[in-house]
Amino acid sequence: MKFLFLLSPPLLAALLAFLARPCHRTVRWTGAALSLVSLGAALAFARVIVSGGEAPTFGPGELLRIDGLSALLAICVAAVWSLAGFFGPGMGAESGENPAQRRRYHVFVNLFAFAMLLAVSANNVGVLWIALEATTIFSAVLIPLSLTRGSVEASWKYILLSSVGITLAFVGTVLAYFDFVALSGRVENALNWPVLVAAAPRLHPEVMRLAFVFIVVGFGTKAGIAPMHTWLPDAHSEAPPALSAMMSGVLLAVALYAIARWKVVADAALGPAFSGQLLLGLGLFSVAVAAFSLVIQRNYKRMLAYSSIEHTGLICIGLGLGPAGAFAALLHLICHAAAKSMLFLLSGRVLHRYGTTELGGVSGMLQVMPWTGALFLTGVLAIVGLPPFGLFVSEFALIRAGFAAGRPGLMGAVLALLGVGFIAVLRHANRMLYGAFPEGVVAGEGGRWRLAPLFVSVGVLLFLGLMLPPPIEALFRRAAEVVAR
Amino acid sequence: MNVALFSQLATLGSSVALLFGVVLLCRRSLRAYVEVFRWQSAVLAILLAVVGAFGGVTELYIAAAVFFVLKALLIPRYLERLAQRVGAESESQPYVNITSSLVVAGLLVLLAYAVMRPVVLASGLPTRGGLPLAMGVVFVGLFVLVSRKKALSQIVGFLVLENGVALLALLGTFGIPLIIELGVFLDLLMGFLVMQVFVYQIHGTFESIDVEQLNQLRH
Repeated sequence: MKFLFLLSPPLLAALLAFLARPCHRTVRWTGAALSLVSLGAALAFARVIVSGGEAPTFGPGELLRIDGLSALLAICVAAVWSLAGFFGPGMGAESGENPAQRRRYHVFVNLFAFAMLLAVSANNVGVLWIALEATTIFSAVLIPLSLTRGSVEASWKYILLSSVGITLAFVGTVLAYFDFVALSGRVENALNWPVLVAAAPRLHPEVMRLAFVFIVVGFGTKAGIAPMHTWLPDAHSEAPPALSAMMSGVLLAVALYAIARWKVVADAALGPAFSGQLLLGLGLFSVAVAAFSLVIQRNYKRMLAYSSIEHTGLICIGLGLGPAGAFAALLHLICHAAAKSMLFLLSGRVLHRYGTTELGGVSGMLQVMPWTGALFLTGVLAIVGLPPFGLFVSEFALIRAGFAAGRPGLMGAVLALLGVGFIAVLRHANRMLYGAFPEGVVAGEGGRWRLAPLFVSVGVLLFLGLMLPPPIEALFRRAAEVVAR
Repeated sequence: MNVALFSQLATLGSSVALLFGVVLLCRRSLRAYVEVFRWQSAVLAILLAVVGAFGGVTELYIAAAVFFVLKALLIPRYLERLAQRVGAESESQPYVNITSSLVVAGLLVLLAYAVMRPVVLASGLPTRGGLPLAMGVVFVGLFVLVSRKKALSQIVGFLVLENGVALLALLGTFGIPLIIELGVFLDLLMGFLVMQVFVYQIHGTFESIDVEQLNQLRH
């Protein structure tokens, strides 16, 4: 029953947006209200998990299953979808989209949310793959919502690279399944996680190693792990702001979720050393690429996109560091989703007021839009990892896990690179927030009440930064247990 | 069933599929690209049915039929129509010229053999001889995708890559469960339709389907 409440709202919302003609405000508000139903279902799942219950399953062949990790991700996806819905798609009457574009937006954004929720609740590696491939299609359709040279270019690169990536992940899935079939023969539900994990210790290590490399490269392309990240700054910066928020906040998280799941199988077959080395290496490389790209940014939406690559890298490093690192990585993932989705939603307001995405064209934001500016500042302070926000705690825990795992050299490098990113982002944000505003820009907040939903994000960031009450900590622990034991 | 014959047929089919992949590299016109893809898909559809017959997996007949209709009939027809509408600019100057492309293809097949060694060793299947060839198709498809400049050639490269993966799944596991297979086909079809819309958009915005012009976004 709970599964129905989790997965049917986005489908209903998409159907409604498809049928309602003309597409007006009711569609948007109903969609946003429906997202709360999914969020409620996800929270209900989390309650079952925290109180020590068995992971619920559903459907023929236990097609769906929600354990601690799935519940955490489902909450994250539903919450950001909800936020994007309530904050407004960043394309109301003011941004001049026509009704057809608005309908297209609402149909596909809800399908996009559905695909992500399905991906995190799928028990079957095949269904997970299909859902992730579907996320590419649904989001790619929305990037060129208003046709410009930039958005067409971004969407073409996005769909081509992501499709290739996801196909390589399928090669990995096939190889792992091949390994399974070669040893155990054809078994009922062989593609389900628990069956796969149980069989993993007997798999051929050589084949599993090959499969895992394909999987990390494949899903890593979607997660924006360097060097497969090249599509990400283009797509995230050209997409409509609400879609950017979802892509950066949760799509990366869902792709990382797939890697984390497969890591469990690989670790059972190979021991944690192999996947650990691979993830630490790629993670460090991503952080490095992102840090130096942040320095040379001239476009604030691309700056936010590169910051996402940096955080993806940190999460990979966390996943490679064993149980303590996995806990830190998951905390980081959730806090990043809260902070980055807020920043991308705000970037839509900045773009609307200043009419440019160039950093050089934006200044004096705190004077022009005091509330938007203040929230933007909060978000920036959060993503660079300053206290009292959640990302400070998770980065601290990550570094500590690294030292505890006996990798001081790696952690030193990570700290230095974080320092580079820190200075770069603060310098850019400084220029945007202070100083005199350019001529022709009208001061005044306008639609201040629309910012209200974002205070939920600020609340989450502060809350996770200041305390971790037992039930929430229990959920993170249950989720981390799934990833690393 | 005759295992030796099965094994030979599987290897033969995979070799022919790889051969079509390599032929792609020495063609220039988009029409030829589509034609080669059509033939490769037809070979794979037959191979699906062959494995179904020898392996005793009746589900594979359905998969073979779907595969044939989708990849040997529908998608090539769409591609041809697309080429007509946007004007079939031929691949006159790919990033890598034809001679070098063929050399690279040879190296890629060697790489495929190296990569798939552990898999072949771990396998007792009569179809194992075709596994490195399937990986070769994957690599060649990837190479077409990165070395060709026209958006349509890139789509064909991607479709060849997909063919390689389908072949790998077929030979390695005698077909993944049908429901997953159908989901994959559906995704593929949707992905293809979206790509096709994007080609129109690229053509409309840039008045060409040369992806070299897609260079507005930097850093």
